[in-house]
Amino acid sequence: MTDNTVAYRKTDILILGSGGAGLFAALHAHKAAPDLDITVAVKGLLGKCGCTRMVQGGYNVAIGTGDSVERHFMDTVEGGKWLNDQDLAWTLITTAIERIHELENELGCFFDRNADGSVHLKAFAGQTYDRTVHKGDLTGIEIINRLAEQTWARRIDRMEEHRAIALIPARDGGRISGVLLVDVRDGRFHFVQAKAVLLAAGGGPTMYRYHTPSGDKTCDGMAMALRAGLTLRDMEMVQFHPTGLIAGRDTRITGTIIEEGLRGAGGHLLNGNHERFMTSYDPRGERATRDIVSRAMFEEMRQGRTGPNDGLFITMRHLDRDLVRRQFKGMVERCADCGFDLAGGLVEVVPTAHYIMGGVVFDTSCRTSLEGLFAAGEDTGGVHGANRLGGNGVANSTVFGGIAGDTMGPWVEKSGAFADPDRSAIDAAVAHGLRPFAKPRGDLLDMRERLEDIMWDDAGIIRDPERLHRAREALSGLGEELAETGVATSDRAFNLTWHDWLNLDSLILVSRVIVEAALARENSRGAHFRDDFPEEGDLATSYFTTARLDGERIGVGTAPVEFSRVRPGETLIREEAETAAA
Amino acid sequence: MSGREPPEPELVVEIWRGRESGEFVPYRVARRENQTVLDVVSHVQRRIDPTLSYRFACRVGMCGSCAMTVNGIPRWTCRTRVDRVAGNGRVRIGPLRNMPVIRDLAVDMAPFFDKWQRATGRFVPSDADNRRTFARVPPGSRERQAADAGIECIGCGVCYAACDVVAWNSDYLGPAALNRVWTLVNDSRDGARREHLAAAAGDAGCHQCHSHQACMSYCPKGLNPTAAIAGLKRETVKSLLRGEL
Repeated sequence: MTDNTVAYRKTDILILGSGGAGLFAALHAHKAAPDLDITVAVKGLLGKCGCTRMVQGGYNVAIGTGDSVERHFMDTVEGGKWLNDQDLAWTLITTAIERIHELENELGCFFDRNADGSVHLKAFAGQTYDRTVHKGDLTGIEIINRLAEQTWARRIDRMEEHRAIALIPARDGGRISGVLLVDVRDGRFHFVQAKAVLLAAGGGPTMYRYHTPSGDKTCDGMAMALRAGLTLRDMEMVQFHPTGLIAGRDTRITGTIIEEGLRGAGGHLLNGNHERFMTSYDPRGERATRDIVSRAMFEEMRQGRTGPNDGLFITMRHLDRDLVRRQFKGMVERCADCGFDLAGGLVEVVPTAHYIMGGVVFDTSCRTSLEGLFAAGEDTGGVHGANRLGGNGVANSTVFGGIAGDTMGPWVEKSGAFADPDRSAIDAAVAHGLRPFAKPRGDLLDMRERLEDIMWDDAGIIRDPERLHRAREALSGLGEELAETGVATSDRAFNLTWHDWLNLDSLILVSRVIVEAALARENSRGAHFRDDFPEEGDLATSYFTTARLDGERIGVGTAPVEFSRVRPGETLIREEAETAAA
Repeated sequence: MSGREPPEPELVVEIWRGRESGEFVPYRVARRENQTVLDVVSHVQRRIDPTLSYRFACRVGMCGSCAMTVNGIPRWTCRTRVDRVAGNGRVRIGPLRNMPVIRDLAVDMAPFFDKWQRATGRFVPSDADNRRTFARVPPGSRERQAADAGIECIGCGVCYAACDVVAWNSDYLGPAALNRVWTLVNDSRDGARREHLAAAAGDAGCHQCHSHQACMSYCPKGLNPTAAIAGLKRETVKSLLRGEL
């Protein structure tokens, strides 16, 4: 007999996720409203799972002499191919300045300095100014360690290794009542009733054969949002990082990032014939934006000019090796552990799925269309448009996480209330979660690999309708297969194979949305490239895609981009605007 | 490698199954190029026995979630190549020592992080109103070098599992927590030096350390908590003598 009991508990604010967004939200909500009960629930251990921790490059912020928020904003919007929600982008860039000082001075991050003791700003691909604050090439560890310490020190409850599986609406609709979670350790269900819920579970396009995110990432937040009826935007925009490591078959480390800063610092990409190729694709060569470099690499791979594991190579050996060892210490050590010499040799790499620009539609105070539900970080869409600049990711999660905390604290005090949950929604989510225990055991690893192949081959770096339709069919079949596939044991305690099933369940749904959005965009912008529509289309009439779940069907639409601050062809950078006018 | 010799080379791996009580169970795993211990554990769960429990996240040595005991030594498994540890073609993998076992290879790290807090392992701003500047600290300065020495700790628990003093005295704060306190004591921007030293000087603090140096030997990041603890011993004694503690 399957135990379908659900334990109940209450908290004023429930935060899903413990990356930059979740922990900043917890700290800011606690500061804004110290009397509230705040709980952080996270799939793994607090601050240890997720992707903020994995940030290598750094944190973009316009604080350099001669730099400006206008310049950072224009880089972000140009990089985003004019699809960004400009108010969200403006909020990101202006608040990043406040946040970086908070990280350094209040949380205790100790970022790298210039020889004179001032903060060091490094170059990063696709930007017109050196503006990336960092701590060596392990910036994320510094940020998340300091955030976790400050969270532990405060009256903030933790539900670690608790996986959220459904956002539960109120019985009378119209608002959220709480979240249904599984305690990974004992496998039991918990309903946490909350006045406010923050969706900050992160994204992570791990449905592609090569991917960078942490192993726990499976788009659960986006899947839950879809099932709760929320609208997602820009879901065709999946960013591929140009350089993921290839270590060979069945290696967990395959797909993980070889740092972008290597190209910024003068690293070369070579094809299988050991020839540079980037300069024939873009005048910026290896320092072109991620989308351009990834596509060029994919093209080289399609031409068959590859290395032993079907990848290409990155090399730093023409540069000062000691400097490379010093500047990219973490990266050099990691490659050495895998048997590669980054400073002096060739390391085989492949473009790798890195970040989903799309996500839940939200506003500059992190509200969503569902009352009581807030969102921040990679679960959200609109900040980055069609392409995210390296260094804008951790800025995004920490900026909007903090804003979410600032918003939720006072909001709960003023208008928050516990709502009775829709019991039928809880029952349905429990039944869905327990489904694999009633089905015959299947090969979930094989299904995961098939999913990754479908998405890599047919919905990846270069797309066309024939491939996308094939992916649509294949995903539909895979979804039906999963529904009839079970796990081997009825013991739910720390049952990773059950979670493999739940992971696939989230990933297949979000993959379907990516495919539908990719079919809907009939032009090529940023990370989205259609072989049949290679032009970017008219910028002045730019639109973004929207997607929502309607029963089992995915409803896709488009909406015009509102150029609330600057129109295509114009700039906010004063000196450039003056030059253009002269 | 010619890749022609059948059959595929194999590794015999014995993995701990159970909780506090349990047994090592043998599995046969295909050898692969660049295979890590985490890859072996994943292979067993994904292809042989779906009930095996373990923990991992980042898979690249940044999160410190996947440490286990490998042939008697605590290691980060995502960055430990099988080649390095399987001299005789056998590998024995168990959970970390000194932490309660949840199941199989997954341990409860809560005591480890609780001690990080008990040791006051958190930054306290010396100038809470500083919102717009970065403290000017040259990278070559003594203060920066000292603060940087132990900062890249990923909280994997390897040193804590390696430490005999933790095994003897479950209250002992342990190497990672004390190492963090030492980085704070050296951080010229921190405003709570006295509190940090007082926490480190307590009954469960730095003076319990016997300088066995297992923490230093096994730290996957090459940090030296033993030296940090020695620094704390020195500074706490100085502060005591000056009547500051």
